[in-house]
Amino acid sequence: MAEAAPGPDVRKLLEEIKRNISWEGFQADRVEKTIQEALATLDSVKLHFLENCVGCAACAPSCPYYYVSEKYGPVEKAELARNIYRKEATILGKLLGPLLNAKKPKSEKDLDTIVEAVYRCTNCGACYVSCPFGIDSGAIIKSILASIATKSGRAPTLIAVFDVIEREKLFLKIPSFMYIWNEVMKKAEQALGKPLPFDKKGAEYFLLVNMADAMFYPDAVIGAMRVLDRAGVDWTLPSKPFAFRPPIAAVIGLFKQAREMLKMLNADISKYEPKNVVLLDGGFVYPWLRFQMPKVLGRRPSYRVLHIVELFEKLIKEGKLKLNQTDDKVTWHDPCQLARRGGVTEEPNFVLSAASKGFRKLPHHGAESYCCGGGGGIGCMNMEMLEQMGKLLGVSSKDLVAGEKELEFIQKTAEHWTIAVKRKIDDIKKSGADIVVTACPVCMHSIAGGAQLYGLKTQVRHIAAYIGERLQ
Amino acid sequence: MGYLGGSTADVYSFAVYYFFWVAITVFAFGTAYRLAKMVLLWRRVVKAEPRNRGVGAWIIGLVRTFVDPIIFSMKAKPHDFLAGLVALHIVGVLPLIFLLAHHVAFFAYWFAPYKLVAETGLWIPLSVTTSTLTITSPIEVKFVNSIWGPLTVILNGDVLAILAILGVAFKIGTKVMEQAHGLRHVRWSDYFSLGLLMFILLTGYAAARHSTGTVTMDVGTYRTVLGFHILGAEILLMLIPFSKYWHFVFGYWYGKLHEWYDLRVQKGLV
Ligand code: SF4
Ligand code: SF4
Repeated sequence: MAEAAPGPDVRKLLEEIKRNISWEGFQADRVEKTIQEALATLDSVKLHFLENCVGCAACAPSCPYYYVSEKYGPVEKAELARNIYRKEATILGKLLGPLLNAKKPKSEKDLDTIVEAVYRCTNCGACYVSCPFGIDSGAIIKSILASIATKSGRAPTLIAVFDVIEREKLFLKIPSFMYIWNEVMKKAEQALGKPLPFDKKGAEYFLLVNMADAMFYPDAVIGAMRVLDRAGVDWTLPSKPFAFRPPIAAVIGLFKQAREMLKMLNADISKYEPKNVVLLDGGFVYPWLRFQMPKVLGRRPSYRVLHIVELFEKLIKEGKLKLNQTDDKVTWHDPCQLARRGGVTEEPNFVLSAASKGFRKLPHHGAESYCCGGGGGIGCMNMEMLEQMGKLLGVSSKDLVAGEKELEFIQKTAEHWTIAVKRKIDDIKKSGADIVVTACPVCMHSIAGGAQLYGLKTQVRHIAAYIGERLQ
Repeated sequence: MGYLGGSTADVYSFAVYYFFWVAITVFAFGTAYRLAKMVLLWRRVVKAEPRNRGVGAWIIGLVRTFVDPIIFSMKAKPHDFLAGLVALHIVGVLPLIFLLAHHVAFFAYWFAPYKLVAETGLWIPLSVTTSTLTITSPIEVKFVNSIWGPLTVILNGDVLAILAILGVAFKIGTKVMEQAHGLRHVRWSDYFSLGLLMFILLTGYAAARHSTGTVTMDVGTYRTVLGFHILGAEILLMLIPFSKYWHFVFGYWYGKLHEWYDLRVQKGLV
């Protein structure tokens, strides 16, 4: 990737972000305000998640971070939100306080505990399906606690930077980003042997390539284009990225900003009047665009949202996509956001079975798939990521952390990830697969890193890259 | 003071004739309060187009929504599964509450449709050897031929009460252990809830046998022990809407049906 000197936009952005981020201290007023804001978002479903947990801890072993420490079990982390809820919104909690574990964060240590809970949760939803009461602890951790943490100043600087870059479309002004984008498009044009069908109006399929797609899996972007081209469907793509990884604000619990971002993105896409919008990203981008978008807009968008693997399935069934079937020992890792939180579980199996006779499911797949341990912002919390992004932005990795305390937190998070990823790696080992195919940049990074760590020789590919190479 | 020979100073009469109404009233208000909160916080939203995987997938999804956590718990936490779910819930407390002959008689008195359970013979006897109220009754001891057939060996008050007591003891032990490990979800109110349940089981067990285990009761002691048993149950009834016991009335059913709708119907998770 190209290095760049920091432009004035980046400098200004970093200064501004750092003014809002404070990993040290405890500002009581600010925390109190954030608590009130978080509780104002309660609805009957969240109320159920907060009130009906019986504390049986049946959910505990489902969580990748439970294996780091039992204090990171889902119920333990969500209890921090329940403490606050009981103190603020229940009569008995107000009256009996500690007897009912009703209390609010009162010190720097309390706030740190909340932040730790937020970044020991990937929002994978495994606790949701393993709870006998249908309680989604992850949703509570990643909504109530994350919003309290971030608005109190405790957000990973790097993610906060990306959030602003996305919402202000600064990536269009940062040369290294646009360099990457243009390079990918150039290579795609070479691969297709013809000009790309940019910015067409009313196309059947709008391939929504985001900045992160181009950065993390350029071969998948190209693979998807090859498939669309070969299938002979009417498709287009944007000539410039609309977003970084939308809505990245959601990762740090800034839901108002996430909603604004979705509205903006919808406006951008709608100008092209596509019938279907196709995503490459099977991380949080999928459930937000597919399932949250109508809630945010107050109406269903004028196009359908589908993941590329859903499109592949459709094209194969229609006979438009023909593959050279191989013997690859290949398996599919279900990204939690695409599968458990998005319902796309059957399609990848169908597509990969068509691509290889050696396809096998992982011992834990679909609703029971093991999380890779990297989601929910955790994948951004390591030195490698900071250095890579620092290079792109033309700053040092130190400029992307708010101080010693955040740095230590990042290092501890990265250490804990090494334990959380192990269960996934063991599952892959058991499958005997040589190639792991998936669809989320964080899963890809996490599994590749985990494989290296635990001596598993395996390739990790994006489904669009893998399929793009097996066209008849 | 009192009627039917009872007096408010007598714990049995107090529980049966006076406090009963207090408990029912608190339960009713509590239930209305909890349900009203849910209704008031309900927000209408525009939903995404559901992924349609067909009715068959919905039905399988519904079964899996209920069964998956049980299988998971069986594999991941076998002790919890055996003590918490099997001993305490499935073969312990639930049949004891709803099917024990004495309870069936009581419920049928207050709630006419419950007579059906009595008439179809679905009740379970107090012990495997006698359906009379006590082993001290001067009646010949013989095997009870209930509708449950040989299952009566397990499905009787004696065995179920012991299982339930063991299950509650395990749960209390688990809470103590979890607290010792510094886990924050353990609340003091958990001990109260479980302690109360234990109290109800022990007094019920003792009263049903007219014996505390070592001392055979006279009528006065029996009335007192039974009175405490009923009083305990009434306090638990009052506690239901304000405690974890709400799961049985509402939380469990709502939670699972919501999860089913959200994940299986709307998102099409199979
Ligand atoms: S979230 Fe569910 S499984 Fe976890 S402790 Fe609470 S009730 Fe039990
Ligand atoms: S969502 Fe996943 S990571 Fe978060 S608490 Fe639940 S199981 Fe753990």
